[in-house]
Amino acid sequence: MLTPKRVKWRRVHRGRMSGKAIRGSTLTFGEFGLQATEPCWMTNRQIEAARIAMTRHIKRGGKVWIKVFPDKPVTKKPAEVRMGAGKGNPEFWVAVVRPGRVLFELSGVDATVAKEALRLAAAKLPISTKVITREEVHA
Amino acid sequence: MSEKTLNLTIEFRSSTGTTGSNALRAAGKVPAVIYGHGAKPQPIAVDARQFAELWHRGARSSLVTLVLDGKASDTALVREVQRDPVSSHIVHIDLQRVSVHESIHARLPVVTVGVARGVRDSGGVMDVITHELEVSGPADELPDQLTVDVSGLGIHDHVLAGSITLPTSVKMITAADTLVVSIEASKTARQVEEAAFVTSEQPEPEVIGQKKETE
Repeated sequence: MLTPKRVKWRRVHRGRMSGKAIRGSTLTFGEFGLQATEPCWMTNRQIEAARIAMTRHIKRGGKVWIKVFPDKPVTKKPAEVRMGAGKGNPEFWVAVVRPGRVLFELSGVDATVAKEALRLAAAKLPISTKVITREEVHA
Repeated sequence: MSEKTLNLTIEFRSSTGTTGSNALRAAGKVPAVIYGHGAKPQPIAVDARQFAELWHRGARSSLVTLVLDGKASDTALVREVQRDPVSSHIVHIDLQRVSVHESIHARLPVVTVGVARGVRDSGGVMDVITHELEVSGPADELPDQLTVDVSGLGIHDHVLAGSITLPTSVKMITAADTLVVSIEASKTARQVEEAAFVTSEQPEPEVIGQKKETE
């Protein structure tokens, strides 16, 4: 699963998810992509599940790019613990996704296979997404 | 560039900034700017629907004739189109004044033709690595796109930018050793499974600057 190798701080502030994706909102590598239409914190497990769903469908052939990286640690306090006594322990990692962000890209497969693979991947994600293609973008 | 006439009706606009631009968009227009040839940049507005149609007809890499008050005023090249990241609607256009025979730099899309031998016979994967190449040449002689014939490529073969044939008056600006298309061997089923292997335990990342505990 995707996790950072080195971090500067073990815990970070929550931040905000408002606005739209400024960067990473266009196709850069592949012919097809899955674009977020809602904001979310996407966990590394969700990204991994989507990737597996995609690669299993395209089997051999094709190339997949993951364009989000879960670099934000999320902390949790243990169950039945009183408030206070410091921030909880880092439990999992998330990528902050804003609307417009391209999450995955695909190439090397035909349109039908690519769209089905991205549909299967989208089913593993907590937000609504849309499939974009290079042809549509440049049409 | 191809011999098609692309006419775009423009009108000068006095309102600039977010409020003025949003009002234009609500009225079915797109704010734009035209610059070049040493003149001061001029804010203009174009009809969203007309521009979308022109874009579809090839305004991406062709000269556009700007029509102001029913008369052709300038020829220009669409330099940049800004889109909303979610809706993909065009929010702003940059136009650069270009005369027909002027030498210009342009980024042309790469279009592959045919099915590579390595993909057809050996089950390889074709990867277009560079989707656009920068060229320079007279504005009226630039092609709409760069066509790359990949039918002769086998596994591990590739096409470099320098090997793409261009019209004699057009020069490649992108470095000649830039990889454009490559045919890679397909991953085996085992490699796919290995890639899908999920480790249950996540190693704690190293914290930069934190001293390691000594025994």
